[in-house]
Amino acid sequence: MTTLYSLILGPMLYLAVGVFLAGTAGRVWRMLRSPAFGVSLAIHVPGQAGRKGRRGWISVRLLAVRDALLLPTVLRHNAPLWAVLMLFHAGLAVLFLGHLELVADIPVLRSFPHGAFTGKGAVGLTMLFCLAYLGARRLGSPVRELSVPEDYLLLALLFLTALFGAQMAWARSWFGYETVTAADYRAWLQGLLAFRPEAGLAGVAGAGHSFMLAAHVFLANVLLMVFPFTKLMHAMFTFALNAIRRGWPA
Amino acid sequence: MKETIVDAQTLDEATRGKLLSLFEGRLSRQMLLNLETCSRCGLCTEACHAYASMPLVRHAPAWRAEVVRRIYKKYFTAKGRLLPRLGEARALTGSALEELGEAAWTCTGCRRCMVYCPFAVDTQQIMSIAKLLLIGAQAEPEILTMLADVSVSRGENVESIREGFLAGIKRLEGQVVEKWKSQAGRTPIPTEVVGADMLYVALAGAHSIVPAAAVFNAAGENWTLSFFEAVNFGAFVGDPAKTRIILERIVSEALRLGVKEVCICECGTAYRVARQLSVGQPFEVVSLTEVQARYLRQGRVKVRRLPGTFTYHDPCQIARNAGVYEAPREILRAVAGEYREMSPDPLYNWCCGGGGGLVAMGEDTLEFRMKSSRVKADQVRASGADILVTACENCHTQLEDLNRHYGLGKEVRFLSALVAEALEAD
Repeated sequence: MTTLYSLILGPMLYLAVGVFLAGTAGRVWRMLRSPAFGVSLAIHVPGQAGRKGRRGWISVRLLAVRDALLLPTVLRHNAPLWAVLMLFHAGLAVLFLGHLELVADIPVLRSFPHGAFTGKGAVGLTMLFCLAYLGARRLGSPVRELSVPEDYLLLALLFLTALFGAQMAWARSWFGYETVTAADYRAWLQGLLAFRPEAGLAGVAGAGHSFMLAAHVFLANVLLMVFPFTKLMHAMFTFALNAIRRGWPA
Repeated sequence: MKETIVDAQTLDEATRGKLLSLFEGRLSRQMLLNLETCSRCGLCTEACHAYASMPLVRHAPAWRAEVVRRIYKKYFTAKGRLLPRLGEARALTGSALEELGEAAWTCTGCRRCMVYCPFAVDTQQIMSIAKLLLIGAQAEPEILTMLADVSVSRGENVESIREGFLAGIKRLEGQVVEKWKSQAGRTPIPTEVVGADMLYVALAGAHSIVPAAAVFNAAGENWTLSFFEAVNFGAFVGDPAKTRIILERIVSEALRLGVKEVCICECGTAYRVARQLSVGQPFEVVSLTEVQARYLRQGRVKVRRLPGTFTYHDPCQIARNAGVYEAPREILRAVAGEYREMSPDPLYNWCCGGGGGLVAMGEDTLEFRMKSSRVKADQVRASGADILVTACENCHTQLEDLNRHYGLGKEVRFLSALVAEALEAD
């Protein structure tokens, strides 16, 4: 079992990050080296004509970023879906910061005192609710008919990753909080960053709930590896497409 | 449609190779983004007038896009080759072509779905692949190809049509003089005026030339009429090469005459295509509606109010897809006895259901056009107006068909005709 844990928490994680970075770069490179269409494909909004010149293009870019991040079209046409999507994506951002804090202190976040993963699984639970909503919505018509197997598999993968991640706080309480501390995680992750994966492995791989950590990291590894080859790439492409809708030069 | 060169299931390797090569030729950066980004959230379904009128999943924009996307996955992505079932990648077969045909020729290219989509996926762009593959398989609507070929041929044989064209214009001049004596001027419909300020590109038919001529003359415009019709059947059928050739006739004429502006008549697709593909030319492309609104703003024409309650249908290719929202409203504020907006936000105006070549296909598409545009008929009815105005030939024909089919009891008018009718004599 320990060998399996060490594979998941070391070599597989390197592989996952490598596939994620190379795959994502490859996908973006393919876009960039493809020929431009050459004509404007803007959707024109009443009262927003005449955005020309440097300042005009800056405002177009800002509007496109706003469209991509705040999803105003979803808010207008399906407010409950918008609330769930905003909650989900905000949760992703919070969890991203939470994971970064496991590696090292982030000075700006140290302005208020808090422990590792202050939410104690609440953010993960919120995301589980959001994913369950998205899954239920996908089972109803017409989204069901539009869906392909990839849509369900990604939802399941995200759900399980979040589930095993959110459980970590409770699992620690079941097996004793002190068995794996934040310092143990930091030692393991900093060891990974220093390409010495075995350095901090003992602290995280030998506890009663290590199987939950291994399951969480295994699922996250899979998620990272499939990311560049699935619709999850919308996280990058949405900015470009929204800019095109706003009149980005062809 | 033509009888296809393929049967229902099979497609020979040579044909498939040729079609995939056509497909690959359309994979611009923008197209790749469109093909790679959909999350199939389904938000676009309610945006489509066809789905809203007939809630069948095959009318959902995301479904139409998936028909093309599945073939893309199969041949142009590693995932589609290795794990085709994950994304339901699909081989390019005869039955796939049939699906492409249904998707392409039930989409009017209005791009209303793009206003709903959080990622701004452009279904019209994706449908351009479907149309190109159908052309490659000789399975496109034959009538559209024939009309495109006639336009191309007209451009190649200008000299042979010159006499007949000028004789026809002479007859139309009589109509201008008869209705608008004081505005007609010495040459009611000028042609081949080198150094004219504006080249007006009309459609075949007096309705597109006579009222416009009256307004140009009343405004004292230094204009000249194009030898060619504005409509671009190459764009309707989805043939990029013919689209360019058909437009090129007008561009060459404009350059030869040295005009400052090319004014496109009330034809949405012609206007959008000319504007998009003429970037960098030494002339501006403007719509007739913009020109007439400018005359009113500058006081170059005087108009009276016409009795009745008016509403305006924003043609998708002129408004949502080209940005001309204010000009028609300026005109209607000047000439309409009473004006009522059809939609609280013109960005969300329903498509008439006749664009993308569907009206040009005539009776073949009539039943679908009527069924798929019930929401448009409801919107027109709810406006409470007596007179339904638009600035696009396709929309006008479709709205007249809807008017008859749903018994709306409206009078359907061209905006330019209203301006001409409202002209006040000096």
